[in-house]
Parts: sequence; C-alpha cells; structure tokens
Amino acid sequence: MSQGSGVLVIAEQRGGGLSPVVNELVTAGTSLVGQIGGSVTVGLVGADLDALAASAAGIAGVDRVVTVEDDRLATFNGTAWSAAVASITGNVAPAVVLAPATTAGRDYMPRVAARLGAGHAADAVAVDIVDGKVVATRSMLEDRVQATVAFEGDRPATITVRPGSFARAEAGTGSAAIEAFDVAFDDSMFALTASAPEAAAAGQQDLANAERIVAGGRGLGEPDKFALVEELAGVLNAAVAATRPLSDAGWRPHSDQIGQTGAQVSPKLYVAVGISGAAQHLMGVQNADYIVAINRDPEAPIFKVASFGIVGDLFDVVPAVIAELKAVQA
Amino acid sequence: MTIVVLVKQVPDMNAVRVDSTTGSVRLSGKAMNSYDAYAVQHALTLGKALGAEVVAVTAGPANARDALTRALAMGADRGIHIELNDQDQRDSLDMANVFAEAIRPLQPSVVLCGQQSDDVGTGQVGPQLAELLGIPHVSSVMSVSAEGETIRVQRDTEGGYQQVSGPMPVLLASGSITEDPINPSLKGMMAAKRKPVEKVAAAERGSTTRISWSEPKAPKREAKGIIVQGASAEDAARQLVAWMKENKLVAS
Repeated sequence: MSQGSGVLVIAEQRGGGLSPVVNELVTAGTSLVGQIGGSVTVGLVGADLDALAASAAGIAGVDRVVTVEDDRLATFNGTAWSAAVASITGNVAPAVVLAPATTAGRDYMPRVAARLGAGHAADAVAVDIVDGKVVATRSMLEDRVQATVAFEGDRPATITVRPGSFARAEAGTGSAAIEAFDVAFDDSMFALTASAPEAAAAGQQDLANAERIVAGGRGLGEPDKFALVEELAGVLNAAVAATRPLSDAGWRPHSDQIGQTGAQVSPKLYVAVGISGAAQHLMGVQNADYIVAINRDPEAPIFKVASFGIVGDLFDVVPAVIAELKAVQA
Repeated sequence: MTIVVLVKQVPDMNAVRVDSTTGSVRLSGKAMNSYDAYAVQHALTLGKALGAEVVAVTAGPANARDALTRALAMGADRGIHIELNDQDQRDSLDMANVFAEAIRPLQPSVVLCGQQSDDVGTGQVGPQLAELLGIPHVSSVMSVSAEGETIRVQRDTEGGYQQVSGPMPVLLASGSITEDPINPSLKGMMAAKRKPVEKVAAAERGSTTRISWSEPKAPKREAKGIIVQGASAEDAARQLVAWMKENKLVAS
C-alpha cells in the first residue's frame, strides 16, 4: 500500500458549476477511507474557484478542499493541469487519487502518474481494497471483458473513474475547510493556447444529463435515415445520440456518441434503434432505467440488456411507434 | 524536420470470441489499432504541410511488424521497429519510456499516437510519453493543420469542439478524423516493402512494479426484458407504447 493516507478527489467543472461526477467520486473516496483510514480531500484546478470550492466543501463526506488558481487555467490545458494535480498530490500525500474518466481526466491523469512515477488505472468502474491493496476494475477489448488492476509499491494509486459508476454523495450538507495552494507553473506549459469549447454544429447537447435518449446505429444503413431517429426523439421529447461507427463515419458529431470514448449516460429511458449493441455500447448505456431496443437480428446483444425489445425491421417498426405515440399523446 | 507516429498492432476486434459459460476470451487475427490509423493520417497531413519526414514507430515482437508495414503503405516514409518481447510485463509508463528512449535521438517536431488502444484501452502512453519528453500534449485530436511553425488542432470534448494552437514540439493523441480514411493502395503496399525499417533494442525495464493485472473475464449478461418477435409493426408498436404508459415513460 502507498505510504500516503486518505483519498484525493480531483474535481471537474461543467456549465459553470461542479460536475455531478465529483459527488460520485466522493462516494467512492468515502468508501475507501472507511477501509484504509484517512480523510477525503477534493482538489480543484482552474480560475475563479471560490463558488466551486464552496460547493465542493458542502458535499457530504468531504473533509478538506484545496485549490490551485491561476488566470491562465480558465480553459483546460492538460500539460498545466497535470503539473497542478501532481503538485496537489505531493502536498496532500494521499494513498489514492481519483479523477473523472472524462476527456479531461483521461488527458491529465496519465501524465500525473508519470510525474509521480505512480501506477495508473484508466476508466475504472469499481475501486476496492483487496488483501490490503487498492484494486481498480476496468474494461478491456472495447468493453467486452473486465480485468482488475492491483496497485503495488509505495506511490499513490492514481485512477480515473468512469462517470456513472458510483451513487452521488449528497450536496450542500458538509462544511469542509478550504485552502489555496500555490503552484509555480513553468511558462512553457502555456505554450499552447486553447479556445473555450464550442457546441458542435448539429445542436450540442448534454447527453450525460439527458432524461430520455433515442440513439441510432449502423442498422439505419445510410446517413439520411437518421431523420427517423430524430423524428422519434421529437415525439418522445428526447435527446438524440449515435454509436461510434456512425460518429466515426461522420454521420453525427462525436459529442453525440455513446459508449467507450463517448458519453456514459444514465437516462430514465434509452431507445436503441438499429443498434446491435457492441460491448462498449452496452457499457455506455447500462445505467439507463429502461432500455428499449428495435433491431432486425434476434441474436443482437442489445436484447440482453433491453427492458423491452422489438425484433423487426426498424423502417416498419419506428414509423408505427411514432404513429402510436402521436395517437396516445393527441 | 521529423514527425514520429506510434503504431500498435492489436488483435482483430471483429474476431474476439468470448466463451459465454466461462467468460474467457479468445483473440485472433491482427490489425492496426483503429486510433493509430487516425494518427497516421494526421501525421501525413502535417508531414505534407511542413515538408517533414514521417517516421512510423512500433514496439513489440517480430510479428508486430504488420502495423508498421500498413503505416508505410499509407504513406509514412520509414519505420522503426523497437524489438520487445516482454510487453506483458510492462505497464504504460514502462512503454512510454521505451518509446521516449527510441525517439529522443530523432528530435521530432511532432509526435502522434492513437488516443487509446482497442485491446487494453488505457490511453496512457501518449500523455506519459509527452511528460518523459518534456513537451506539451493535446488529446482527443480530430483534425490537424500547420501554419508556418504553428500547429493547429481541433479536439473533441464533452463540452464541444476546442481549437488548440501553438509551437512545436508537441505530442498529439488522435481520437478521430474528419477526412475520409486512407486505405493503402496496391501501389502503396508495394512501395512499403522497399521503405527502410530500422530495428532497435528496447530500453531495459525498470525494477519497479507499479501494478499487476488479473486475467480478463467477460461480465455475464442474460436477457431479462420483454421481447416481441414475429408481430406486425403496428402490433409491436401498440405493445411497446402500452408498456411505456404502464411504466410512466410517456404522458397519456
């Protein structure tokens, strides 16, 4: 086990507030410190962090919040972020560092591990203590299989955790102390300049927070047929999404993509149209409350996770479903 | 000027077979890692724009050579094969060190790699290699261009597209491409056979063991929902919408 103590959770912002994944990581951290002792610290990196730090301090289970603030950190920069997170880790000296397995977390955390000479597990779906070792469970082979990574040696275990893997710790109940750290950044870390992210042309949406999602897959056959998915989504008042083959083929922007390297979603209703259910896609949608699948192939893996499946030609079934929905909602 | 692109040979992802009773996995075939194909295309785009030589680099046993041959057939100028037979014993930081040792003498202006591998999928080697080389990195890269000595990339994030630009040297991890994928032509494949490939020895593995892996297993899945099969589209639609009403998924 690492020489450090407790758990450091690296926070992430979304839409000007704290991302809900931070509450998930605090849940994971609280469970770990229950077994290995120590406390849960939240680390925040960015510019203008007062309000975010106050939110983090209010999450149940958080003992301490530390911040690294710099005006140059207003937009994400993996090189500078990794220096900041490594510096926080050095100061806090935790046994485990958890960060979200988002595009940002997966960008800076490996580099943090390299700076610290520490082991790293990316995109974990579970973190436990087994025989005194920190053990992360993660998937491989495009989410078809899972394996565990056990941390050896005296460095902190550094882990990115897939959003949606833990319940969210309650917000607004805690009152942790807040402390600012100074980090001396090398100017060369800001050699690259980045714009603020801009919404993709086709109507950027926040899939991770969507209540209802209708997604299309390769079964649609050609790009114009995606209109059918959009029409069904319109009737259901749902967001639209796509599988990796569709976004790789340029039918849809990558921001619409679900599954490995795309969004992990947890909607109430998820409707899969013409999606056979590659393993990475199933992992991406497994937290949906209800999964509806429409596919021609009765052997398609998506039917293994579907709450309601229709085996049939989507070009017949989807228009019939749209008509029926319009009839009951009229 | 030199551009380095890292490529990895992985099992054929379409040929992965999982035993549903034991959960064990059988791998076969070989292919270039899908994200590395994007990296090769980005390397070729930058190579053209900058008038730079594109060097494809792989690490692995003798039979890992195919991914390198494919990169050369796509248009890379030459290859470096880092001979390595104990890949299973090395974690991502060990591998990043193997690549750092091999490519440091080339003093590359741009290093490209795939965002992650299709098989292990850690996505760690790129950022860790940038750390060891002491250069900035950008991940989730979807398109690249060069203007004079400035590299411009577009990256794909949950919050939308981000434009990043700056000087070289830089490491870019490719997550997708916006142009059509290059499939090597017969001419390209013939040319690849004549392009030089240098074999180099891998850096020794350090004595530190940071992590250990368990045997991968497939999670069990059994159908548990309602499946409608053989009904007319209208009948299936009625059943679905009735079920949705029952579960309060639609207003009624």
